[in-house]
Amino acid sequence: MIYLDYAATTPLDERVFEAMLPFLKPDGLHANPASSHGPGFRARAAVERARGEVAALIGAEASEIVWTSGATESNNLALKGALEFRGMPAAGRAVHIVTARTEHKCVLDTCRHLETLGVRVTYLKPDRNGVVTPEQVLAAITPDTALVSLMWVNNEIGAVQDIARLAPQLRERGILLHVDAAQAAGKVKIDLRSVPVDLMSLSGHKLYGPKGVGALFVRRKPRARLAPQMHGGGHEQGMRSGTLATHQVVGMGAAFAIAAADFEADVAHISGLRDALWQRLRDLPGVHRNGPDGSAEQPLAPHVLNLSFEGVEGESLRASLADVAVSSGSACSSATAEPSYVLRALGHDDELANASLRFSFGRRTRLDEVEQVAVKVRQQLQWLRELSPLWKP
Amino acid sequence: METLAETQAAAANPFNYGTQIWALFRLAPRAGRFPPATPGVVLGKAGTPAAHSVLSLALQIDDGEVVDARFQAYGCPTSIAVGAWIADWAIGKRVAELAALTATRLRNELEIPDERAHCALLGEDALRAVVALMKQEPL
Repeated sequence: MIYLDYAATTPLDERVFEAMLPFLKPDGLHANPASSHGPGFRARAAVERARGEVAALIGAEASEIVWTSGATESNNLALKGALEFRGMPAAGRAVHIVTARTEHKCVLDTCRHLETLGVRVTYLKPDRNGVVTPEQVLAAITPDTALVSLMWVNNEIGAVQDIARLAPQLRERGILLHVDAAQAAGKVKIDLRSVPVDLMSLSGHKLYGPKGVGALFVRRKPRARLAPQMHGGGHEQGMRSGTLATHQVVGMGAAFAIAAADFEADVAHISGLRDALWQRLRDLPGVHRNGPDGSAEQPLAPHVLNLSFEGVEGESLRASLADVAVSSGSACSSATAEPSYVLRALGHDDELANASLRFSFGRRTRLDEVEQVAVKVRQQLQWLRELSPLWKP
Repeated sequence: METLAETQAAAANPFNYGTQIWALFRLAPRAGRFPPATPGVVLGKAGTPAAHSVLSLALQIDDGEVVDARFQAYGCPTSIAVGAWIADWAIGKRVAELAALTATRLRNELEIPDERAHCALLGEDALRAVVALMKQEPL
């Protein structure tokens, strides 16, 4: 099995595993990091060190990092928490959010939930490459707009939004900017000292850390205020109660420290593999690259290659590549499931959106694996097209 | 070096398709078309591209009996397996036997689950199209 689904999740880095181990052993550092005694202080020191490591990758202060269970929770906390703090819609008070149709489901679903509570949401349509321009966002703003939520890097097609250009314009207008950076951290340069994002969601397991831990960056100057969505012991500056999972937090910190140290090498490695696969498939007829092409005008995250294949049905395409783990735009088990909403939002027709594959590359991917996958894709595509009564070469 | 068919047959079935469906999808015996001008070929089609399933069934008839068969399919693995199964089963059959094959029997033979029932109907429809032509023009 060749694993090319790093955008879905990454394996734990061996060094991260080693960093976590002392916190998992029964005779190890098991104390509650909120406890006021020696072992508790040691656990807390580990948590705070990890907080600093996560902050360092994105140019933030340690005190601006709130631990969560993952990017889904971070996105929920950012959107619901910010609106609740600022005041939800009421008689005489309208509240408006701007986001994009290609956001992750957890942002879209949270927005839909907020709509049921009276919030008005604008879902911007990106261009054919998945890009929403700052001008488009500004044009959608109304006097009631409280918050804009945009992802830095799209998980399906790798489109990169121009957050650096958008953020100062929202700051000038006093509108909060939340950025889902689950796919961006460690893949594109992020420096929040110069980019005035207010809230930013991060995930541990997208970057060789453990699953079940994430973080929300909450800016201190100017203070981005949130109403907690998890009530309890007042942990995490009152924004997210619950005993911290020390081992997970330490793992995410170690993962982010490695990502910072290895940034250039990681990006060069994975973008090289992405380009190598495309070079080996681009001459095939009826193969389309979805999303930006990676040129200076169309920035692209280094780890994603999304392709649509004419003349084949998506489920059979995926099934024919049974020994390659990739994500598919096709229905998984149901005859009625819809093809990728992201590709549809980009204006692709259903048939091409259905016959699409997202290849994503990581630290452990080797060039010979990419070469093998290219051969398999070529073979299976040819076989399925020969099988099809519709394919006209 | 192993052939494509061997590679495909050996591939694991991580998506849990039925055993027979997986084997027929991976090997697709009798896939393809007859060469142009092959005598006695009757071609039936069913399905639409919009529904992500098209099955084309070509039976070669000699003296009222199927002597050879080919199929082509655009669709999910189950619909491809249905085409392969019918093409194989049809050999040696006469029109009355072909007309008697139902979607229910296809579902039983191939252990097609409820949510894939439409694939069996696709097979039945393609075969019926062939049978209708055979009745019009006995070969």
